[in-house]
Amino acid sequence: MALPLKYNFRNITVRKSSTLATAFTIGLTVGVFLMVMALARGIDLTLTSSGEPLNVIVLREGSNAELNSSVTREQLNDLIYLDGIEREGDKPLAAAELMTLIYKPRKGMSQGSNVTIRGIGPMSNKLRSGYKTVAGRMFQPGMTEAIVSRRIAERFQGLDIGDKFRIQTIDYTVVGLFDAGGKAFESEIWVDVNSLGSTTKRDNFSTVLLRAKDQTALASLSKRITDDQRLHLKAMPERTFYEDQQGAASGFLKGVAVFISFIMAVGAGFAGMNTMYAAVARRTKEIGTLRVLGFKRRSILAAFILESVAIAVIGAGIGIVLALPLNFVSTGTANFQNFSEIAFNFRVTPDLMLSALIFGVAIGFVGSLLPSLRAARFKIVDALRAS
Amino acid sequence: MKYGKLILKNILRNKRRTLLTISSLVVSLFLIITLATILTEFSRGSESSNPLRLVTRHAVSLGFTLPVAQQQRIATVPGVKAVIPFSWFGGIYKDEKNFFANFAVDAAKFREVMPEIKMSEDQWQAFINDRQGAIVGQKLVKLYGFQPGQRVTLRSPIYDRSVEFIIRGVYTGGDEKTLFFHHDYINELVPAWARDQVSTFSILANSAADVPRIAQTVDSMFINTDAPTKTETERDFAISFETMMGGVKQFMYGIIAAITFSLLLIMANTMAMSVRERTKEVGLLKALGFQRGTIAGLFVGESLLVTTIGALIGIGGAMLIFKSIDLGLYIPNFQSFVPSAQTLLISFLISIGVGLLSVVYSAYRVSGMTIAEALRSTE
Repeated sequence: MALPLKYNFRNITVRKSSTLATAFTIGLTVGVFLMVMALARGIDLTLTSSGEPLNVIVLREGSNAELNSSVTREQLNDLIYLDGIEREGDKPLAAAELMTLIYKPRKGMSQGSNVTIRGIGPMSNKLRSGYKTVAGRMFQPGMTEAIVSRRIAERFQGLDIGDKFRIQTIDYTVVGLFDAGGKAFESEIWVDVNSLGSTTKRDNFSTVLLRAKDQTALASLSKRITDDQRLHLKAMPERTFYEDQQGAASGFLKGVAVFISFIMAVGAGFAGMNTMYAAVARRTKEIGTLRVLGFKRRSILAAFILESVAIAVIGAGIGIVLALPLNFVSTGTANFQNFSEIAFNFRVTPDLMLSALIFGVAIGFVGSLLPSLRAARFKIVDALRAS
Repeated sequence: MKYGKLILKNILRNKRRTLLTISSLVVSLFLIITLATILTEFSRGSESSNPLRLVTRHAVSLGFTLPVAQQQRIATVPGVKAVIPFSWFGGIYKDEKNFFANFAVDAAKFREVMPEIKMSEDQWQAFINDRQGAIVGQKLVKLYGFQPGQRVTLRSPIYDRSVEFIIRGVYTGGDEKTLFFHHDYINELVPAWARDQVSTFSILANSAADVPRIAQTVDSMFINTDAPTKTETERDFAISFETMMGGVKQFMYGIIAAITFSLLLIMANTMAMSVRERTKEVGLLKALGFQRGTIAGLFVGESLLVTTIGALIGIGGAMLIFKSIDLGLYIPNFQSFVPSAQTLLISFLISIGVGLLSVVYSAYRVSGMTIAEALRSTE
C-alpha cells in the first residue's frame, strides 16, 4: 500500500527553509541550463528561418562565406538565363548582391563589432519574405542612402534615421528602419547594390540569389551550377546555406550548457542528498511507526523519492521562472562565418522548458536514491528506538 | 586555537553531511575556476598587448584592404621605429577544423616589431633568406608536428589560392598558435584584386609618448584617399575583437554569480541543519558560562573550516587537472587553459565569503537564545 500523497506534502512544508534552499539550488542549475539552451535556440531559429524554401544561393567555388565570395557580371549573365528560374513577367527572379562590413561601436561603448552592409537589387525584396519598413522609407535606387535593421540601430551607435556613415569617401544617409521577421537579415544594413559597387570600386558581386520554379528545379539548378566547370561557382539551397552556419555557434553553446549544468547538477544533487538524509534522520521513529502500521519497505522508499522529486519539481519551476524573462530578449554576437554581428533573441520554448523540468526531476530522483534506500532498510525495532 | 579541536570534532560528527557539502563546494569551485579561466583567455589579446605597438586597418572595417604602398609613408611618420604589413591570409591547413591564424609579414623587420617572438639566430636567418619560408609557434608544433624543412600547404578561401610554404623555424613567446610567412611571396600568387594589398599594418613606436601622435598623423595622412585608415593601439585593436562577442562575457559573469549563489544556499542549508541539531548543546554551553560570541564563533569557525577544505581541494584539483592537460592547446584562439593567480585568489575569497555569509543568521539566532529556550528545543 502506498503512503498518501498528503503525507509527502505535509513533510515538505515542515522544514520550509531547508526545502526552499534545496529547491533554489536545483532551480539555479535548471535556470542556467535553460538560459544557455535558450541562447543556442535563438541562434538556431534565426538561421533556420532565414532561407526561403525555393531560393538558391550562388557563391564562388571554394569560398566559405558570402564575404569571401565573388561573382562576375559575365557569370551573372550566364546564371539568369538558366532553366528552372522563376520569372516575374519577362524578368528572372534573381538578385546579385554585394556584401561588405562596417565596424561600428556598440551603444555605450567605445568599441563594437562589424555590421554587414548588403547591397541589394530591385528583385532582392521579392526573394525574401518578412521584410517590413518600420520607420522612414526605403532607399532610392542610385542614391547613397541606406536602410538599417531596427535591431542593429538599437544596438549600435550612429545608425538611426538621419545619421550618416562613411564608406571610403562617400557618406551614406540612413533613411529607414526595417524588420525582417527575426531572420539573419535583421542584423544588416541595406544599400543599393550599384551605389555600393561604385563606392567600393568593385565590379563583381558577392553572391547571386535565384528563385527556383519548384522543388525539382531547386535541386537541378544547384547541381547544374555547381557542376559547370566553366563557371567556377557553387550553388546550394539557401536553407542549406544557413543551416550549415548554425552548427558552429549553437553546437558550441549546447556543449557549454551540458557541461556547466552537469557540474552544477552534481553540486545540487549532493545538496539534495543532505536535505533528504536529514529528513530521514529526523523521521526515523516515524518510519518505524509506519512500518508497524503495515506499510511496506517499498512504500517508504517511494514516499521519500516522491518527496525529493516534489522538491525538484518546485526547483525546476523556479528555474523556469528565472529563465522565462529572457524569452525574446534581444542579444547579439559575432557570426564567425562573416565575422560580423548576428542579432537574435533568447528563445525559451516549451520543449526547452520540458527538458529543463525533466532535468530538474532527474536531479531530485538521483539525489534521493541513497537516502530513501536508507529509510527503507531500517529495522522496525531500531527505528522505533531512535532518539 | 583552543577551540580548534572542538570545531574539528563538530564537523566530523556527521561525516556524510560534511563530505557531501565539501563535494558540492569542490565541483562548484571547479566550475567557477573553469569559467573564470575562459574569461581570462577572452581578454588575453588586450591584456598581453605591447603598449608601444599600433595597428592600422581600413577605416570602414577589416572587410577592406589597404595598399601596401602606405607602408613607406607610415615609416616616415616621426616616432615610428618600424612598420610591417601584418596581413590576414585565412589559410586552412588540410581541414577547416584545424584552425590557426596565419599572417603575411615583412620577414626582415618582423623581429624588430615583434620583440616577444623568440627564435634561434640560425632559424631567423633561414626564415629571412627563404622567400617561401614560414615560421610556426611552439604550440602548432605540438598540435600538428610541424618540423623545420617540412612543406605545408594552406588553402585560403579569401584569396581562392592554395600556397605551399617551407617551415624554417619554430618560435616561442607571443601567440604560439600562429604561422607567419613573407608578404612578398604570396603577393605574386594572390588574384589581381588582392595584389599589393594588406589587411593591417603593425607599427612599433619609439616611445609611449609617440603613440597617440602616430595614430593621428597616420590617419590624417590617408583620410581623403580611397583607403582611409584607422590606427589604434594594439590593445584597442584587440578590444575591438573582444567586444564582437557582445554579451557573452556578461552572460558568463551571470553564470558565475548563479553558481556562487547556489553554493551559498547549499552551505547555508548545511549550517542551518548543523546548528538546529545542536540547539540543546548551545543551552548546555550557555549554562556552563560560555559567552554568546564564543558560541557563535564556534559555528562560524565550523563553516569556515568546511569551506576552506572545499576551496583547497577544488582549487588544487582544478590546478592539477588543467596543468596536466592543457586544454588551451585544443581550443581555437586559446593560448593556455591554466587558471591565473587572480582567478585562484578570487575563487578562494568566494569560498571564504560563502563560509561567512552562510552561517551568520543561524549562528546569530541560536547564540542569542536563552538557556531555557535552547534546552527546551525538541531537535
